[in-house]
Amino acid sequence: MWKGFLMKHARCWLLAVVALLLLPQAAFAQPKKPAGGGKPPPTAPAPAPAGGDIEIDDPNTPAPEEPTEPPPPSGDTGGGGGICEIDPTACPKQGDIKKLAERPVKADVYAVQQIYALRRGRFEINPYWSQSLNDQFVSHPGPGLAVNYYLTNVLAVGVNGTYYQPFNSDADFNFENRRATRIAVPLTEYLGGYAVNFTYVPMYGKFSGFSQFIFHYDGYLVGGVGGLFTRPIPVIDPDNRKFDFEHRIAFNLGFGLRIFLNRWFAVTGEIRNYIYVEHLENTEVAANQAAAQNPNDPASPWIKEKPLTVNVQAQVGISMFLPFSWEYRLPK
Amino acid sequence: MKQSFKLALAAAALATGVAAAPETAHAQEIQITGPLAGAPAVRKLRLYREGRAELALGGGFTLLDEYKRTIFISGRLQYNVFDWLGIGVFGGFSPEALSLNTDLTDRIESTPAPRNQRTAVNLPGTVGQPKYEAQTGKLGWMATPQVTFSPFRGKLALFQKLFVDTDLYLHGGVAFVGVKERGDCGGPGKPCTAAASFQQVDRVAVAPSFGLGLTLYPSNFVSINFEYRAFPFSWNRGGFDSRGSGPDASFPDNRIDSEDRTFKFNQMIFVAAGFHLPTSPKVSE
Repeated sequence: MWKGFLMKHARCWLLAVVALLLLPQAAFAQPKKPAGGGKPPPTAPAPAPAGGDIEIDDPNTPAPEEPTEPPPPSGDTGGGGGICEIDPTACPKQGDIKKLAERPVKADVYAVQQIYALRRGRFEINPYWSQSLNDQFVSHPGPGLAVNYYLTNVLAVGVNGTYYQPFNSDADFNFENRRATRIAVPLTEYLGGYAVNFTYVPMYGKFSGFSQFIFHYDGYLVGGVGGLFTRPIPVIDPDNRKFDFEHRIAFNLGFGLRIFLNRWFAVTGEIRNYIYVEHLENTEVAANQAAAQNPNDPASPWIKEKPLTVNVQAQVGISMFLPFSWEYRLPK
Repeated sequence: MKQSFKLALAAAALATGVAAAPETAHAQEIQITGPLAGAPAVRKLRLYREGRAELALGGGFTLLDEYKRTIFISGRLQYNVFDWLGIGVFGGFSPEALSLNTDLTDRIESTPAPRNQRTAVNLPGTVGQPKYEAQTGKLGWMATPQVTFSPFRGKLALFQKLFVDTDLYLHGGVAFVGVKERGDCGGPGKPCTAAASFQQVDRVAVAPSFGLGLTLYPSNFVSINFEYRAFPFSWNRGGFDSRGSGPDASFPDNRIDSEDRTFKFNQMIFVAAGFHLPTSPKVSE
């Protein structure tokens, strides 16, 4: 049986043997360092960067030209190292070092590095999912999109829009309450909303995860004005009343948190209050059919109360910043 | 013939691939130089949690309430075994004065009853005797043994002037909640229309508890804490006969019992000031 098996697969075995013979003889994880732990041998000098940047650690950087001032006497350089070679005028002098050493040390100084993701001059595209937080009777979830342009690193102007219509959800609680008490709560639903906003970013920070990696975040305030298209859901007299969506002016104010996964991609969470005047269905019904079918019946109009309403929405989404990258401009 | 052609093609591809493979493989060496070479992600990290006990005192309030808003006087006692792991107990209580009516409860209270046979089971016969608010479900207290997981530590710059150490944490545990809700009625000699049937009884509901929070450390000893907590379970918030008969038991049965409890995703926000012992945190290398 074995003989038959080997004969049947002879060509495959032959190919496998050939492949094994041709395999590399050795694999190296990394080249060995030069003996004595010295620096790698210099190769051809690297060309100067187009932007004129200087790589301090590049061993291939050409030697600077002779300084205009004579070098200080031996032992007076303070061991300035690379910076002294590149720019002798910036090299710390012995007197400076003594002065620095004698200054009082403030132990609670926080080191803040360059801002991880600069925003100035960039567009932010922010698709999100919105969920109502304070309406226990009808939830108003829906997808949305925000686009912001950052005028400065902390201030942006933008627009956002949310589409609610197919997602409005009348809670079971409403029906159970109506059945149990014969009291109905006027309900409303949304078609969509839009707003023109200003965004202000007063705070930013960074988190370390498990002390192994670092990610950055910022917190922002957002506010603006726009509109909501809403209408009552007829629950008091659904046989006679039918409502169309109408535009309401809505102011909004909120705050959010943006966690950067890289310099152009972030996850966002936001709480936004949309403040507007809502129109509620009249809880009273006209005495006769003709009056009940007249939306503007003086005794019993379809709309009666118009309270100031705050719709609190939680918005979770992602942010993409365009252009994807930028250049820091460092002071000289 | 066809099989031989396939075999020849495969052999040619294999031979080409093997022949084109390099003799040796080299991984790229990343040579990090300068003062950060080999440095850990964080140095001199203040370990605000590790080996410290925390007492946080503050208030909590529930969200998306239907008949009663509950304000808790709350606290958390916790010992942090590591900087990223703590065990403790969250608890709170809400006296009657901090259990507030919603607008819906007030409207039900002010509307004359009974309005028909159904409302006679669900509402007291006369306005104010007893009050409707007396039968609405209430959260009296809660105790939650829990584990706190703090994977993220960082700092926050406010207006580029004020810097505060911060951590973000997740918590999970089991909530024991003291619930007051309308007692059972509808059995022999206990009609649900009798005034006595609208009285409440106490029970303890057991529910999962989970959420997340943010702690700010303006000083070594004191912290400020914002926390979201969910503790979903079923209870009869309105004191109504909602279920018990018909298909899926989804129709009223003129009885008040455990069938009338409906699921609620209970949520609350907790804001507190935390005090830590020992008063100074350890600092990592």
